[in-house]
Amino acid sequence: MRTTRQILSKIFTQRFYVENLGFFLVLFYLLFGTVNGANLLNYHLSLIRGFLNSTSFLLIMVGIWTAYALKCTAFVMKTLQSPGYDFLYTTMGSIPTGERRRHWLFIQFNIYLPVLIYAGIAIFIAISSHKWMPAVIIGAVNIINCVWPLLLYEKKLWNPDTIFFIGHIQRWLNKHFTKPPVLFFIYELLINFPLRIISTKLASTAILWLTFLLLHRNESFDLRGLQIGVIVCALLHMQLMIHHRAFDDTYLSFMENLPIPVWRHYSRMVGVYLLLFLPEILMIICNAYADTSILGIVTTIAIGLSLLVIFRSFLYFPKMNTEIHIRYTLSISFIVLFMILAHYEWIAILLMQLIAAIIFFAKYRKYEAYIESTE
Amino acid sequence: MSDSVITLRDVKKNYQGIPILDVPSLEIPAGIHWLQGQNGAGKTTCMKVIAGLIPFSGEILLQQQVSSKKDPVTLRRLINYAEAEPLFPSFLTGRDLLSLYINTKGGDKDWITDIVDILGIQGYIDNPVSSYSSGMLKKLSLLLAFTGNPALILLDEPLITIDTAAVDTLYNLIREKNNEGVSFIITSHQPFDEQKITLTGKLIVADKTITRN
Repeated sequence: MRTTRQILSKIFTQRFYVENLGFFLVLFYLLFGTVNGANLLNYHLSLIRGFLNSTSFLLIMVGIWTAYALKCTAFVMKTLQSPGYDFLYTTMGSIPTGERRRHWLFIQFNIYLPVLIYAGIAIFIAISSHKWMPAVIIGAVNIINCVWPLLLYEKKLWNPDTIFFIGHIQRWLNKHFTKPPVLFFIYELLINFPLRIISTKLASTAILWLTFLLLHRNESFDLRGLQIGVIVCALLHMQLMIHHRAFDDTYLSFMENLPIPVWRHYSRMVGVYLLLFLPEILMIICNAYADTSILGIVTTIAIGLSLLVIFRSFLYFPKMNTEIHIRYTLSISFIVLFMILAHYEWIAILLMQLIAAIIFFAKYRKYEAYIESTE
Repeated sequence: MSDSVITLRDVKKNYQGIPILDVPSLEIPAGIHWLQGQNGAGKTTCMKVIAGLIPFSGEILLQQQVSSKKDPVTLRRLINYAEAEPLFPSFLTGRDLLSLYINTKGGDKDWITDIVDILGIQGYIDNPVSSYSSGMLKKLSLLLAFTGNPALILLDEPLITIDTAAVDTLYNLIREKNNEGVSFIITSHQPFDEQKITLTGKLIVADKTITRN
């Protein structure tokens, strides 16, 4: 018969590494694949000495390790909250306190192990070079990162129906703030699919960051370069749009019985994408205000928002699946690209807004989710 | 015969080319109607068509005045619908949904607040619907169907999953609203307690159409 630890390993540790395989592959590539094999050891020794000798670098490392600890903790908490794992409450709850805490520590230790190995090597080098304070800080932070989640797991075990982390804030918000329909999809992403929205936003802002980096290397700031970057940002939101349609189809059908005119539904759709595009808007304003006019910034933002709105409107054609949608969005992007290069930005914006509105008003009331035949 | 509450004119519903509903002409008088039919006969589709949840061809007239073609927003204000198996975004609270319904459908807030208390929803109204049991969700859905000033309320399998006290409350609500002139179309596989509500008639869904019985 398998021991409790073996079973817990299967439930938590093995699943954690399997589910995060992509994350670890990217991490492994960044740490070991980007450096020449002959210089690998020196590279890592330099990296470790770098954060042992610089307080600000060490703080960044502490932040990264704590972020990883949060990822580990979120995984265990999510497992405890997932349907099908209810048995953990009755089984773990039946284990004597001391033994159960050792089990929690075993789980946390195993999923936090990559950081512990790297931090252990760093401590060894720190002690060898008589860097006592960094060694103590690294040791203390990593011990704390292994211990504090246990308190959370214990609390969760005895309060299965309570959601921690943002639970208190969420309850307060639920009581004092009524969610307007424009926020429904944003809530859906933030609460049920945080990784999806975070990865999209990271990719989109990375594109903008790269765009600004390239633009600032040139002597003159060409606004059209930024606008092309914005087109790529809009294209990166396509996955969210497909999700948006599925969310509307599944959960918001009740809203069709509400006496809401189509123009308000349209405003809601535009509002959703304005809010989703807000991080990019802020980034554009902060990075471009010194290099271009207000009109230039407004034009760029309008291009981004118009692209998002027209891309979403095309999904009101029920048979528009992901593949067809990509074709349409790429075609529109190319047309807009050439219009931008020819300085026809506002004609492109007005055309996109007009087409998006025509599609929406013509299709909204007639739209019905299409289920593709598997045959 | 009492005045017609709802009229269906050449109402057709196809799904991906397959006809599901075809009602050349039907007038339903005011009152409480029991919509009957076998599983898969199209009862829920009928209700969703009347409630404006799914598109269709043809026209629906409410009280011979409000047309689905000419005034779809008013039609939605006057027809309420409670689904058999309600599904809402998991993060919304009962209060979020109730506020949305009251803001759009209007109606007497004090009266609906009383119903919240009577149905015992007050205790969990600030919780996200993801934490609701099927019975709690059903009660919320029924409550939402009574918001505003509807002329017609469509209740799809209202008697399932709720407790006996809530069933009694529901009968009282139906009776009270019917006395105020609100009509009902109700589907149910369970027979109604005819001592508690008086049925005006039956509607049969079969062979892709609806007939009055």
